[in-house]
Amino acid sequence: MINTTNGMISTSSSSTANPQSPGLKTYFKTPEGRYKLHYEKTHLSGLLHSAHGKTVTQVTLAHLKDKPAPSTPTAPTSSFSASSGVRSAAARLLGAGNGSRALSFVGGNGGSKSLSGSSRIGSLGASSSSNSITNTNFDGKGTYLIFNAGDAIFISDLNSQDKDPIKSIHFSNSNPICHAFDQDAKDGHDLLIGLISGDVYSVSLRQQLQDVGKKLVGAQHYNKDSSVNSSRCTSIAWVPGGEGAFVVAHADGNLYVYEKNKDGAAESSFPVIKDQTQFSVAHARYSKSNPIARWHICQGSINSIAFSIDGTYLATVGRDGFLRVFDYSKEQLVCGGKSYYGALLCCAWRCSTFFYTVACCLLRLKSILFPQIPSLLFDIEYSKFLLNSIDAKYILTGGEDDLVQVWSMEDRKVVAWGEGHNSWVSGVAFDSYWSSPNSDGTGETVMYRFGSVGQDTQLLLWDLQKDEIVVPLRRCPPGGSPTYSAGSQSSHWDNVSPLGTLQPAPSMRDVPKISPLVAHRVHTEPLSGLIFTEESVLTVCREGHIKIWIRPGVVESQSSNSESMLSTSSKDKPLLSSKVGSSSYKQ
Amino acid sequence: MHQDAHEFLNFLLNELVDILEKEAEAAKADAAETSSPSEKTANGPKNPQANGVLKEPLVTWVHKNFQGILTNETRCLRCETVTARDETFFDLSLDIEQNSSITSCLKNFSSTETLNAEDKFFCDKCCSLQEAQKRMKIKKPPHILVIHLKRFKYIEQLGRYKKLSYRVVFPLELKLSNTMEDADSEYSLFAVVVHVGSGPNHGHYISLVKSHNHWLFFDDENVEMIDESAVQTFFGSAQEYSSNTDHGYILFYESLGASSKS
Ligand SMILES: [Zn+2]
Repeated sequence: MINTTNGMISTSSSSTANPQSPGLKTYFKTPEGRYKLHYEKTHLSGLLHSAHGKTVTQVTLAHLKDKPAPSTPTAPTSSFSASSGVRSAAARLLGAGNGSRALSFVGGNGGSKSLSGSSRIGSLGASSSSNSITNTNFDGKGTYLIFNAGDAIFISDLNSQDKDPIKSIHFSNSNPICHAFDQDAKDGHDLLIGLISGDVYSVSLRQQLQDVGKKLVGAQHYNKDSSVNSSRCTSIAWVPGGEGAFVVAHADGNLYVYEKNKDGAAESSFPVIKDQTQFSVAHARYSKSNPIARWHICQGSINSIAFSIDGTYLATVGRDGFLRVFDYSKEQLVCGGKSYYGALLCCAWRCSTFFYTVACCLLRLKSILFPQIPSLLFDIEYSKFLLNSIDAKYILTGGEDDLVQVWSMEDRKVVAWGEGHNSWVSGVAFDSYWSSPNSDGTGETVMYRFGSVGQDTQLLLWDLQKDEIVVPLRRCPPGGSPTYSAGSQSSHWDNVSPLGTLQPAPSMRDVPKISPLVAHRVHTEPLSGLIFTEESVLTVCREGHIKIWIRPGVVESQSSNSESMLSTSSKDKPLLSSKVGSSSYKQ
Repeated sequence: MHQDAHEFLNFLLNELVDILEKEAEAAKADAAETSSPSEKTANGPKNPQANGVLKEPLVTWVHKNFQGILTNETRCLRCETVTARDETFFDLSLDIEQNSSITSCLKNFSSTETLNAEDKFFCDKCCSLQEAQKRMKIKKPPHILVIHLKRFKYIEQLGRYKKLSYRVVFPLELKLSNTMEDADSEYSLFAVVVHVGSGPNHGHYISLVKSHNHWLFFDDENVEMIDESAVQTFFGSAQEYSSNTDHGYILFYESLGASSKS
């Protein structure tokens, strides 16, 4: 009977998509079809402590190639494993019937508010029983969402419809603020976590999932007790193909390079920065200590960093409004430029997943076949290959001028401004899975799709016609003669600036403008990021609510079996109630 | 009713102008009395009625720092005549929206608005009330740009004023691109007046002021140094019901004139 009552509660909790935001639509239209709200993921807000400072949620997508081994042996007698067994059945069912889930999910979206309180009870219960979570089954894809909120890191199963995370890791001294995952990491440590205190951890995601506790396990600790740098971590990234090297950006304008196989205990010291305004790189004196290098990049915070997919270039954006692109191995500034005004908050490279896979394979091959050759020649040839064959040519940035900037590596300047956000742009990403409907491979009309999210709670999608942006803008203001009176300025605009120089902020009239294809209010809170996956677009708000918007094609292909799935699940009462039974156990 | 900081600012600036004008007049009168008749004659033709109604308005330091000029363009939809009227301002009062930015509020401020129904425009050419399109442009950006967020709004359904706690983000640097000048004028934030409180009838003011590259927090007799990043805690609340009641109300931006005109 308990099962039944709790069952109702839990059902309502999972179907009440937006208890606090009934005004939001659960779909948005694009020329290729509807994107539908599929799942939502969130954390257990009642348990969050923000005593260590306010945090903004970021999400990392992680693919664990194999299923984690269950940490608890299956014992049919215990209610725990019995319920989890049903959960696995439910999960399998759901995995097969994505369409049906989407339907029932959408249907329950306007759910009654009175039940939202009970959903909280459910969430609380779930968190208090984190010892059961490691046994939660997923549909075999092994894709997880890692996100931070308050003093915790949460791990959710992307492909389950469970709203609550399957694992929470709490930090006692400081709040986690940024993270990164490398699916090809060797020796297990694949997840990086940076804290407000400046501390950095590397851990094995699998090990966290297998552990029953709420603490980080098996962690390597860097910058312990802020011994190297005491300012907050702002962004963290694995060096692609870097064999365990990673970089951490800090709020004081410094970026540190670490190597995870180096002894974390021996910590490096670096000379005092002579000129805060100048870019400088210092290397650690002892080869065994971490970090191995410090890059002083700018005055004020580095807000976000991103590697080009092959690791050749590192882009940084910061408080000073500048995008900077470095040749990572040469430790040199290649190019960069200032925002229209205000800080830049986010950046992303154009990357194609196909070529990414090729690139990763080549890099692995190289390290396997020629481990003794750290051959620069290979890397150079390889970079050329990448540069010529893929579109590592564009960088997106967003910031406090409400603009989405498209930066061209070829031209070393801004080639388009996207106007459409009503507040700061907090996340940008190219949709590398999207292919232009009329693209025939000839490259005549190459189009790119990208997305942006802002503090205006909106998701915007953009199409970028290559022809539009390669040709420099030569239009006249409406009803007037061209007013390029400041001749030096416009000639400056046409020329490719010399290598290693930073461009000043362009004038409003000099940059071509583009408008969004779609603008959709996706959350009630300001947004902090977005991720494109093969099946969906993920949006996340600052407070840690994640929404998964399924692509139009995905829903259509599965709608045929969704009806049968729907009828099965509605008929199959025991399944439903016992599925919920597992959450009742949690309490 | 609460003591409105924006009203006070207006009062203060206008009072200062009055005082400065009176002082200047007194000085002029003094000078007129002591000056020799020959000098007076020499100046005569230029300013025939020095003490009369046609005198030039005095440009005080208040004007030099705070005054900007707006052009209010109205286009009659019947005869297409554009009527442009300049008006001076000491501050811009902006309507605000939830989860927006100052940039967006400024854009809305100068966006085109249609005057119709109850709100028609009297066209001098048509000699009647006509539908019209109106827009505001900044003709001369002020040296110090004061932005007042309209957080206290009369809600007709409630029959009373309400405080809008909306989250309106303001950058530390700002450009006005909707000006009639050639270059985009660039500004830097140097002070914020914050209203603390949930309603229009009570509350408290605190202020943030940037001085010698440090941000200072003023709360009555309590003055503290704060980090630049703390400014963003006064943007407002993304949700209507929030425990956060400290909201940026008046923003002071200073022109970086020299660098913008390069
Ligand atoms: Zn008329």
